[in-house]
Amino acid sequence: MARITANKLVKRYGNFQAVHGIDFDIADGEFVAILGPSGCGKSSTMRMIAGLESVTEGQILFDGKPVNDIRARDRNVAMSFENYALYAPITVYENIAFPLRSAGKDQAEIDRAVRAVAEKMELTPLLGLKPGRLSSGQAQRVGLARALVRQPAVFLLDEPISHLDTRQRYRMRRFIKSIHQEFGHTMIYVTHDQEEALALADRVMVMSDGAIQQLATPPEVYSRPANAFVAGFVGEPPINFFDFTDGDENGLTIEGNRVSLTDPLRARIRELGPVGLAAIRPHFIRLGADSPVQLQGRGFITEELQDHNEIFVDVGSVRVSLIAPPGMKVARNETVTLSVDPDHLLLFPADVKVKAHSDDL
Amino acid sequence: MYALVDVHKRYGLRTVALRRLNLEIRSGEFFVLYGPAGAGKSTILNLLAGLTKPTTGDVRRDGQSIAHLPPERRDAAMAFENYALYSHLSVAENLAFPLRAAGLPKAEIETRVNRIAGVLGIPHVLQRRPGFLSGGQRQRVALGRAIIRPADIYLLDEPIGHLDAKLRHRMRAELKALAVEMKATIVFTTTSSKEALALADRIGILNSGRLEQVGTPAELYNAPANTFVASFIGDPPMSFLSVTARPEDAVAALYTDDGQRIGTAPASANGMAGLQVGIRSNAIELVEPGTAGALAGRVGVVEHLGHSNIAVISTGKDELQVSTEAEVRLRPGENVGLRIDPAKLHLFSGGAAFADAAPARNVA
Repeated sequence: MARITANKLVKRYGNFQAVHGIDFDIADGEFVAILGPSGCGKSSTMRMIAGLESVTEGQILFDGKPVNDIRARDRNVAMSFENYALYAPITVYENIAFPLRSAGKDQAEIDRAVRAVAEKMELTPLLGLKPGRLSSGQAQRVGLARALVRQPAVFLLDEPISHLDTRQRYRMRRFIKSIHQEFGHTMIYVTHDQEEALALADRVMVMSDGAIQQLATPPEVYSRPANAFVAGFVGEPPINFFDFTDGDENGLTIEGNRVSLTDPLRARIRELGPVGLAAIRPHFIRLGADSPVQLQGRGFITEELQDHNEIFVDVGSVRVSLIAPPGMKVARNETVTLSVDPDHLLLFPADVKVKAHSDDL
Repeated sequence: MYALVDVHKRYGLRTVALRRLNLEIRSGEFFVLYGPAGAGKSTILNLLAGLTKPTTGDVRRDGQSIAHLPPERRDAAMAFENYALYSHLSVAENLAFPLRAAGLPKAEIETRVNRIAGVLGIPHVLQRRPGFLSGGQRQRVALGRAIIRPADIYLLDEPIGHLDAKLRHRMRAELKALAVEMKATIVFTTTSSKEALALADRIGILNSGRLEQVGTPAELYNAPANTFVASFIGDPPMSFLSVTARPEDAVAALYTDDGQRIGTAPASANGMAGLQVGIRSNAIELVEPGTAGALAGRVGVVEHLGHSNIAVISTGKDELQVSTEAEVRLRPGENVGLRIDPAKLHLFSGGAAFADAAPARNVA
């Protein structure tokens, strides 16, 4: 196990700079998720840690020792990629044993290690099977077991569960988290899925445009996002963004609605000036007029998710989503008043990009 | 109305995709096929489209067999997860293609292309060729090309599965609104519980080529026919405790495997083997350990999901998922009490919903 440090880490491919001089320090035994949309630099960062990509500038250190010039296979890094290719002609046992055999371990040690990891990963009954007989979930567990069996310094996971169904995703999440609790490796998990990042990690490193936007615990990135990108990328359903105008000590205007501000936000608006982005999570908007901060809108659609409803309302040009108790609905084009919890309003500098979908960037 | 009647579908000798499957798709309904990868969802779409034929059994439209009608003689519009677009045509031309083929006037085509591009959030890429689009944009064009023309039935195979979370969320609402407006008959496949619940008039839960249950989202959520359905509908999924029933007055008292009393069921549960209680994560309240009437639990994994947390709590040999407010701090290894709302328990025997437990299959 190791502490992983990056100093001014840069990755360039030709003229394209994928990672712009980032710094981070991941503690021994910590679980960090690198979260961001495609092209944000998360995979390049992980591949540099693994040694699969050279470092253009800066340094990567394992336990304080630079590893820039150490080859991937000598870094003792385990990886599990989404395509967990198992060797088809040999059994699960031999698949798991493979890295130890290549390392020249003796049979008794191999057997002990394989059986120990298989037991923890609930693979013992499958050890005699060949990969073709396994379900995809089982095959994935074998892939993970093979990665873990040689006691790596750091365990890198690259979106291993993004393609699974809801139930399987929960299972695998539990499973990865329990591996971390059982084995205690330093783990780095790369994903575009904010829910997985929040659910699994001790800290989440949110990346965009080759830079770290925030590196903090899940509650922090959710409740105190460092900027509008983080606010927009973290949270489900996604946060609602509005352009605001006429911002001053007395309030601001959102889509024609005048909104008064709490004291902390008055200080914020002094920094930001009259225009910018206002953001509010769907959980902090209600149907009804019971708050001094109100928005007028027209109903679009109600999704009944059984344990709660999700309601979409058009406020001016913005389609707002909000969470409501089961049974509460809006009709299409119905005039509705929304109440916003003023303590949870977030204000950011104007930024065109954060409102777009990452697919459209 | 479309129907699959006793459909058995085999690929080659060994792979059975569908087993004696009976399914009705009603006119104007949004029907979601939901199940794990490989359950047979796409096979059903291919049968309805005429891209494949049943090995035995029949495919019917309004009572008439269409099993042997080729795709071009059916009126089905399809969108696949793996979008095939014409690479030499612009997005606008790709979208217009089915309308041109149907011989619509130019002005009408233009109106429809602009409308659908607006719904899908792609007006700014209409003049681009597919090669210059992101994956999410291509998937939306493919979806647009399927839904742009009037069709008797729309077959949408995970059409928003490749979009990023923000877009998926938005497209879900747009698609539902559009479906309501068009009064279209839609069969939509997904591997997401949330998507199934949000979109469907009715859901069919598919597992290894069999339909486990067909019903409205509320029916499947409140009265799952078996543990498979129960564990598949809802996010997070339902958790289960193995229980034993012992006679108590005129009812059966339910005990966990380590002897904690959890609730009661009708007396007919007494003596039954393989009893399980299903509990959703929001039906459990965390209380001080040792509180009277509460189960004893021990905290395992805790997930911080932003607005709420999900804690995995073991009790006896089983594990329960419990949703809590984000502010609740729980440490792995900590002891807690679990107060379970008895009205929200689901009882299963041998994996099937316990038949005698009226009303709504709840135990009291």
